[in-house]
Amino acid sequence: MRQELGQQIGEKARELLSSGVVECVIGYERATDGVTARPLFVYGVEDVDRLIFDDTCIHNLTRYLLNRRDKNTAVVAKPCDSRAINLLLNEKQIEREKVFIIGVACQGVVETRWNQAGETLQARCQLCSQHTPVVYDFLVGEAPPEQPPPEAYADVLEMEARSAAEREAFWQEQFDRCIRCYACRQVCPGCYCSECFVEQLDPLWVGIRIAPAENQIWNTIRAFHLVGRCIGCNECERVCPLNIPLSLLNRKLEKEVWELFGFQAGMSAEAVPPFATFEKEEKLGIGE
Amino acid sequence: MFRSWGQKLEHNPFIPYLATLKGKLDLTPDIKLLTLELDDPGLRDNFDYRPGQFAFLSAFGVGEAPFGIVSVPYRKQGLEFAVRRIGTVTRALHELEPGASTGVRGPFGNYFPLEEYRGKNMIIIGGGIGMAPLRPVINTILHHRPDYGEVLIINGARTPQDLVFAPEFNLWRGAPGTTLELTVDRGDEEWEGRVALVPDVVKELAPSPQNAIAITCGPPIMIRFVLQRLKELGFADNQIVTTLESKMKCGLGKCARCNIGDKYICKDGPVFTFEQISGFMEQF
Amino acid sequence: MTRFISKKDLITWLEKLIQERILIAPTTKNGLLLFQPVSEVEDIVLDFQNTELSPKECFFSATETLFAVKREDGRTELVPATVDRDTVLFGLHPCDAMGMAINDKPFLAEPADTLYGQHRARTTLIGLPCSKPTTECFCTSMGGGPHDPTHLDVLLTEAEDGYIVQAVTGKGEEILPSSVVEREIVSPPPPSVEPVPAAGISEVMERVFEAPYWSRLADRCIHCNICAYVCPTCYCFDVRDYANGGRIERVRSWESCQSPGFTRIAGGYDPRSSKGARLRQRFYHKLRYFPQEFGALGCVGCGRCIRACPVNIDIREVISDVQKLGAKIGT
Repeated sequence: MRQELGQQIGEKARELLSSGVVECVIGYERATDGVTARPLFVYGVEDVDRLIFDDTCIHNLTRYLLNRRDKNTAVVAKPCDSRAINLLLNEKQIEREKVFIIGVACQGVVETRWNQAGETLQARCQLCSQHTPVVYDFLVGEAPPEQPPPEAYADVLEMEARSAAEREAFWQEQFDRCIRCYACRQVCPGCYCSECFVEQLDPLWVGIRIAPAENQIWNTIRAFHLVGRCIGCNECERVCPLNIPLSLLNRKLEKEVWELFGFQAGMSAEAVPPFATFEKEEKLGIGE
Repeated sequence: MFRSWGQKLEHNPFIPYLATLKGKLDLTPDIKLLTLELDDPGLRDNFDYRPGQFAFLSAFGVGEAPFGIVSVPYRKQGLEFAVRRIGTVTRALHELEPGASTGVRGPFGNYFPLEEYRGKNMIIIGGGIGMAPLRPVINTILHHRPDYGEVLIINGARTPQDLVFAPEFNLWRGAPGTTLELTVDRGDEEWEGRVALVPDVVKELAPSPQNAIAITCGPPIMIRFVLQRLKELGFADNQIVTTLESKMKCGLGKCARCNIGDKYICKDGPVFTFEQISGFMEQF
Repeated sequence: MTRFISKKDLITWLEKLIQERILIAPTTKNGLLLFQPVSEVEDIVLDFQNTELSPKECFFSATETLFAVKREDGRTELVPATVDRDTVLFGLHPCDAMGMAINDKPFLAEPADTLYGQHRARTTLIGLPCSKPTTECFCTSMGGGPHDPTHLDVLLTEAEDGYIVQAVTGKGEEILPSSVVEREIVSPPPPSVEPVPAAGISEVMERVFEAPYWSRLADRCIHCNICAYVCPTCYCFDVRDYANGGRIERVRSWESCQSPGFTRIAGGYDPRSSKGARLRQRFYHKLRYFPQEFGALGCVGCGRCIRACPVNIDIREVISDVQKLGAKIGT
């Protein structure tokens, strides 16, 4: 089944490349550990056979569209990843006609580490109810039968139940070990500022020290800049070399936005995001 | 076998020499000439440097950045730097008032081998703040005027107000066998001089490559076109010399930032002939 | 005869070292194996493959103050930071010790980096051989080996009910306890490590600089700093001032040649603005420029960057691709 998906993607890629519809197809191939997957940029039909798809294809490839804004590109997108395309379309970062989306109906992906692929689905996949991409031009695979998803925010609720002091201590411990490698930013489809606040010198928002105070500012502002924009692909948490639970922070903010505005990022390219508009009667969640 | 660290480590190369700002002069709307005096009298007398070398200036609380030393060592009037306000460190340096404490690390890098150029005609081509490292070259040559042939100085800037070292133009013009050509990209009501890009002035004046050395500094794009014009005039790569700018954090060849291919601007440069640069793996 | 210390005596020795010095050793925290100061011997992990981060941080901190600016009565004084305590770095593998020896070359080249030199002078390296190299390890191709004692002060090799003790330097000899005895004992043979085709790589690199290979490789690269920060031999840094209230310090922090503004000068010009040129710089620095300058490859084959890279940029694959490319391009 999984092997078939890779073949179907490969066939589509061959067709798109040979007809000149796109100049590059971004998909997955087997990584050098022989177990996990890695992104693959296919420019010629001779390489389409390298394309694969299976439950180790965890990367959100839509991030790469930002490097190819002016070139026709096809991208393999899982349902979660596809939401990033809507985000980028909504924010006028990419043009729909330049992107060909090879959507994959997804049954979930597994946790992977170098040389290791887990047996069970990622926690976020177990909670996922979006098994078909929200936007695509061509679809491969079959979505599993719909099931009512379990409570998606159990860990967030558990955090909310803790005292402010406990939460502060928890996050301080997490952020203390941050080495400011910015992998979380670099991998995020929503983090595309040409100059990130953390590198701005004038004004200087945060200094260069890799130290608790600066780490806390970096991690907090990173999360806040994604409020109402994070599409939940979890790439930031996956790439963190020090296992900082960034999705817990992201999903807390996602939950707030859902409760206040009934909004989920990337579900449509047209919906006006809550932080791009203001309505008099809307709840602010402050001082109420 | 004992490892021998720790014995030669008395002077920490990251610690600047303390210096006091003695003078601050507006050269252009965004370039100031800062004059510094080292606080340690012994150091002041022995701080030796050559035209083309650079030093880091500290604005304590903000950081430090590298600048060419624009004074000449034989005039014991302190160290001079032409600082263009372009970032946070330069802004902080501009805001210092005379009497303020600052720091100097250096001198670093190689220098223009002016002794080797004795007897030659000198063509000195600067654009904007790129004129800064060329000023000590001009002043040294004029100090030893009989040792050199004809001297042609081309100083260009965006507008007449942006021409640096205006207080010295008459001195340069007045030196025997010396021509100063000023040019701007855009004139104003009072400007009666040239309105032309520096490379075009080079083409027009067409200095002879015969027994000549051309030294140029300016924005990378200007350097590239000046190089092209000089080569059209018959200058060989080893007759054209420049000084390169780069982001640097140490000046010691340690922060691994200012390399162009396998050359470090801070250690192997900043002064290079185009013969050397054309052998670089990367573009500057 | 070989020198030997029993497990019991090793624990006693480590307890004594904790009392007298700072002891830094591999310990597990939040599921991560890292070199950290330890206060209890039982927290030390002895049997491990590789720590997540290299121990370079003991000598070249992620962030370190170079000097403080003191201002009093209109007078300014610069107070240099100094290293005033002795440290024992325990449990590092030969590859990490070699990493330090490689970093010594730029940092201790005259004029030597004072703080780095002080950290080095006041730290004793007690290493353990690597008994289980990972699949991504390739130290033997970089001039090291899983049992290579060269860059350590002391090497402790597990055997029978204790450890074979090898004092490599005088500094190592000095720190040994009196409980070290002589015993007839044979060292286990080193495990084998998968090789990479690194022979002559530095020369081949010269020929492939202009190859489109680098920008294609950079397609996949996300230009984070992970590879540089987990690497035992990456030593790029940034220097800026830290000001907080009346406190002013000049600090140095890690930086990476992959970060977007690494070579961008004030005013915006950036000689290395393309992704391909930035990624190429990383491999050229390790495999070409560093060997040219210091006579050794800037890589020890610890495999950390391979394991930690989010998009599988694999230096072993790069080395073998470069060899193939070089063969195709010719001399």
